[in-house]
Amino acid sequence: MIMKTNDHDQGGQTAARTIPVRVLRQDAPGQESYWERHDVPWEPNMNVISVLQKVAARARSQDGRPVAPVAWDCNCLEEVCGSCTMLINGRTRMACSALVDRVLEEHPDGIELRPMSKFPVVRDLVVDRRRLFHSLERVKAWVPVDDSFDHGPGPRISPEEQEEAYPLSECMSCGCCLEACPQFTRIETPRREGETDEHLAARRTAAYDQGFIGAHAVSQAVLFNKHPTGRMIADDRMTALTAPGGIQMCGNAQNCVAVCPKHIPLTRSIARAGRAATLWALKKLFDR
Amino acid sequence: MNLPSFVSRHQFLIYRLFSLSGLIPVGAFLVVHLLTNASVLGGAASFQSRVDMIHSLGPLLVPVEFAFIFLPMLFHAAVGFAIIAGGLPNVGSYPYMGNVRYTLQRATGMIAFAFILWHIIQLHWMGAPLGGGRFDPHHATSSAATVVAPLGISLLYAIGVLSAVFHLSNGLWTIGITWGLWTSPAAMQRANVVSIVVGVVLAAAGLGAIGGLRATDVAAARQIETRMDDFKRMMEGQAPEAAAGGHGAPASTATVPAADAIELRTLSEPSRLVVPATSPSPAGN
Repeated sequence: MIMKTNDHDQGGQTAARTIPVRVLRQDAPGQESYWERHDVPWEPNMNVISVLQKVAARARSQDGRPVAPVAWDCNCLEEVCGSCTMLINGRTRMACSALVDRVLEEHPDGIELRPMSKFPVVRDLVVDRRRLFHSLERVKAWVPVDDSFDHGPGPRISPEEQEEAYPLSECMSCGCCLEACPQFTRIETPRREGETDEHLAARRTAAYDQGFIGAHAVSQAVLFNKHPTGRMIADDRMTALTAPGGIQMCGNAQNCVAVCPKHIPLTRSIARAGRAATLWALKKLFDR
Repeated sequence: MNLPSFVSRHQFLIYRLFSLSGLIPVGAFLVVHLLTNASVLGGAASFQSRVDMIHSLGPLLVPVEFAFIFLPMLFHAAVGFAIIAGGLPNVGSYPYMGNVRYTLQRATGMIAFAFILWHIIQLHWMGAPLGGGRFDPHHATSSAATVVAPLGISLLYAIGVLSAVFHLSNGLWTIGITWGLWTSPAAMQRANVVSIVVGVVLAAAGLGAIGGLRATDVAAARQIETRMDDFKRMMEGQAPEAAAGGHGAPASTATVPAADAIELRTLSEPSRLVVPATSPSPAGN
């Protein structure tokens, strides 16, 4: 219904083609969400971010009533920062690399935008992804060299190891794997009446600590347990991977690897972490 | 002891025991069970001899059943239901093969659980107070064939068996990932082929058993079973079934007197006996 090429807007003549866009909006955490429809003029080479820019710039509903500009997260616009994840026609993906013409090829009826469903909504399409980063903290997804001493050159990493590690290092914490995972369910801790920031933060952290860490954190744990320096705290990571909410929560649906925009072999990481956890559990059982 | 805290602290161990119990002993039992049942395709005597072998455990059978079948199955089911309750299937949004299998694994688990409960009540002696307990180990083929004779019952059995088989063969594939046996996509693919073959073989065995029972001539099977039973009793120095007046098993064991008369006569002619391969041969005694 939309596509019929008319590449240029000639002589001030408005292109008749518009894209129906539906956005699931929410004014603040805990508020009711509501749908808003916008007809966005089509332009060549649009992505979902540029659609949102037009929706926000117009800041009016279909019947001309002024509305608050729609809010969303984005940054790099080249699928490396991981901030613009949203549900585009029901599927989790990056808005920046969602090219409008391609999206319309799959869904000629238009574009439907929803915030990620596994994280608490902050506003409109902006969600609170603290749990994603908390999972990375749980598995200590870093190399522990936190001082200013000269430790000399690090151990050598063979090209084979580098080739294994590089794909895992491409993770941009976008959260697509978590959104698509049937085992990763939403944890929301709304502020209680008269609750202090400290108390709320402690309660939220405790709730996150019980939840599934998710495929991204498992894969990062595998990455840093392979790294010659990162390996020095491998036991800490194994403890985290086998703690409540650890790798055992994986249900092998393998949606994570199917939706990962960076094509990270997440299920291979999960199986390797599973093997490491098996050996770790045996070691804990017989070596203590 | 605080149960929720205990469960949450030992989540990894419980989930791994859950995963293991699905294979050993529950899955292993299913394989033995389906292959034993499929022996009915070789005739009533063939199935009866295998049932006799199982029942040769005598008083040990009950503790063995509970330790290796019922309790592990209950544990697997209890943890399984908790896992299902904690998940949020989304196959509508993400209709990938792995996700379809994830969803089917949960659906077939629940179907198999309901089926097994019904199946145990209907056939196992524990179900007798509930009007079930219709399997008679001395008349394995004929009593089972009588139960599955109605087409609706056979169809329910087919659904139950296929659910259990899918659950086991798909579980075989996921167990290998969970424990880290196959880690690369290529290895997972190879394991997948193996689990599909296992599933097809088990499904054929399970459906074959149902078909075999449906094709059974109940009266003829009964005669064979009674003859075998009487022979067994003779070997143990007991009176044959007709003289002993049954085993205290359900009323169905009370056989037609005329048939018993024929069987008593056949006892004097060892060459006409249907002797199971596993039983001691008359010549050897």
